[in-house]
Amino acid sequence: MSGKDMISVFPSRMALTLMRARLRGAQKGHSLLKKKSDALTIKFRGILKKIIETKTMMGEVMREASFTMAEAKFAMGDFNSLVLQNTDKAQLKVKSRRDNVAGVNLPIFEAIKDGSDVNEYTGLARGGQQIDRIKKNFAKAVSLLIDLASLQSSFVILDEVIKVTNRRVNAIEHVIIPRIERTLSYIVSELDEREREEFFRMKKLQGKKAQVRAAAEQKRAAAGNEGEPAASILDQERDDDLLFD
Amino acid sequence: MNSLNFNIDFGYLEGLVRGFKSGIVKQADYLNLMQCETLDDLKLHLQSTDYGNFLSNEPSPLQVSIIDDKIREKLVIEFEHMRTQSVVPLSTFLDYITYGYMIDNIVLLITGTLHQHTISELIPKCHPLGSFEQMEALSIASTLLELYNAVLVDTPLAPYFIDCISEQDIDELNIEIIRNTLYRAYLEDFYKFCQTLGSTTADYMSEVLAFEADRRAITITINSFGTELTKDDRATLFPRCGKLFPEGHSALVRADDYEHVRAVAEFYSEYRILFEESGNNPTEKTLEDKFFEHEVMLMKKAFLEQFHFGIFYAYVKLKEQENRNIVWIAECVAQRHQTRIDGYIPIF
Repeated sequence: MSGKDMISVFPSRMALTLMRARLRGAQKGHSLLKKKSDALTIKFRGILKKIIETKTMMGEVMREASFTMAEAKFAMGDFNSLVLQNTDKAQLKVKSRRDNVAGVNLPIFEAIKDGSDVNEYTGLARGGQQIDRIKKNFAKAVSLLIDLASLQSSFVILDEVIKVTNRRVNAIEHVIIPRIERTLSYIVSELDEREREEFFRMKKLQGKKAQVRAAAEQKRAAAGNEGEPAASILDQERDDDLLFD
Repeated sequence: MNSLNFNIDFGYLEGLVRGFKSGIVKQADYLNLMQCETLDDLKLHLQSTDYGNFLSNEPSPLQVSIIDDKIREKLVIEFEHMRTQSVVPLSTFLDYITYGYMIDNIVLLITGTLHQHTISELIPKCHPLGSFEQMEALSIASTLLELYNAVLVDTPLAPYFIDCISEQDIDELNIEIIRNTLYRAYLEDFYKFCQTLGSTTADYMSEVLAFEADRRAITITINSFGTELTKDDRATLFPRCGKLFPEGHSALVRADDYEHVRAVAEFYSEYRILFEESGNNPTEKTLEDKFFEHEVMLMKKAFLEQFHFGIFYAYVKLKEQENRNIVWIAECVAQRHQTRIDGYIPIF
């Protein structure tokens, strides 16, 4: 059949056993990969749900934080430039660690607070409470952002891995296993045919032997009705049926 | 100066200020502004007020920061006009008004210099009313001490630095502490100056500056809970004038939380009312809002009397409040957060 090939192998019983072993191996590999793919897909869907939740919450939190910013500007005037000038080193840092899920390495980001609050006294004489609220709101927004970052990178990596795994599963299911099965059926059919040939040869041989005996019988009957001399083991005559003598 | 001779030197400017005052945005205009859906609507409504076409040259996607800048620019133009037309002692009085903004500008520039940022980016961010000649020169120094010796001694704020900060401390202090110490010296100085102006000005400005000092004392106390500011440091930030000085101050220094502060304020009738009507829930007005309202009420009183300088101070403060109000409404409109849009402080 066009496009469908099989492994070229000499059909023998040994090859049959080997092929059977390969088929078993392929089937086991297929089921393992399928399990891996299912586990990854479940995790993938979980992450997707969390991403949607986090993104909607992010929208809310950012909105709240911008509004708090407006409130603080109302109470305190423009403190933006002052805060910008006061920064020299990051107070919030992000650390990444690897998480292993069904054999896949996913990065998880965590926030680390480094150093004390540089803007502790900002708004001391005016607007201090609003500044406090802003700090809290934007800290919440940043931690949400960090979570979202971990989720999105996991999402992308998982997507890639799931695609690869599914490709392999399909390859085994639709290419490897049929190929092995075809090879197996070919070997089996070849072996059957050989048996039939052998059987036929035996039959033919027996027929030929019966003919030769019948001819010898006739010759003896024509030469004199003596009857067939019984075979005796003391005879030293060579037996045709023995191959090795 | 008295009622007879006031108009000789200051009559024109008083008339001018009263004219400006009647152009301050009214409650009806605020109601219109609150109905706006976009910032362009807001611009349209502002055209019917005294602001006129101040936004007409701005490119189309209007932003709140541009509106803020333009409003401030209008105030600066008006103030500068009055400043240039005035003579002593009104010119000194107007200078004192600008020292407050100067302190903010200096603090901003010092912070930038200490962190090795370029000064030229900061100059546009300074408040224009508080500009002084040595502003550009601040970039030459790298520590606060050098900064002081080289540049700040020549500014009008030099005496405030001398009063409160000794040479050793200056490099270690947090910039906010410096700002508040400077402001304290400024308030005390302004208070003394107003006393020399006599009669109505002295009366009015004493009351106003006393309120300002008390407000700062209370706010500093409340905001210093939970920080590392020690009680002694806190005491050095309270201006030595106002109703709370000296007994109220010593009580405030000992205060440990909001309830203590409220208890101290109970002794003074105006502040007791402010505390009673404010609260920390999102629906109630905050203490800051109540302070703003009280300030607006004091400022409006200035225009009920004639022949004193308080109207100039009141005018600047009211225009600032108007600026804040309009920017607040603009932010609410831009962020589509209509719930708190009426959080502005009504003036007239």
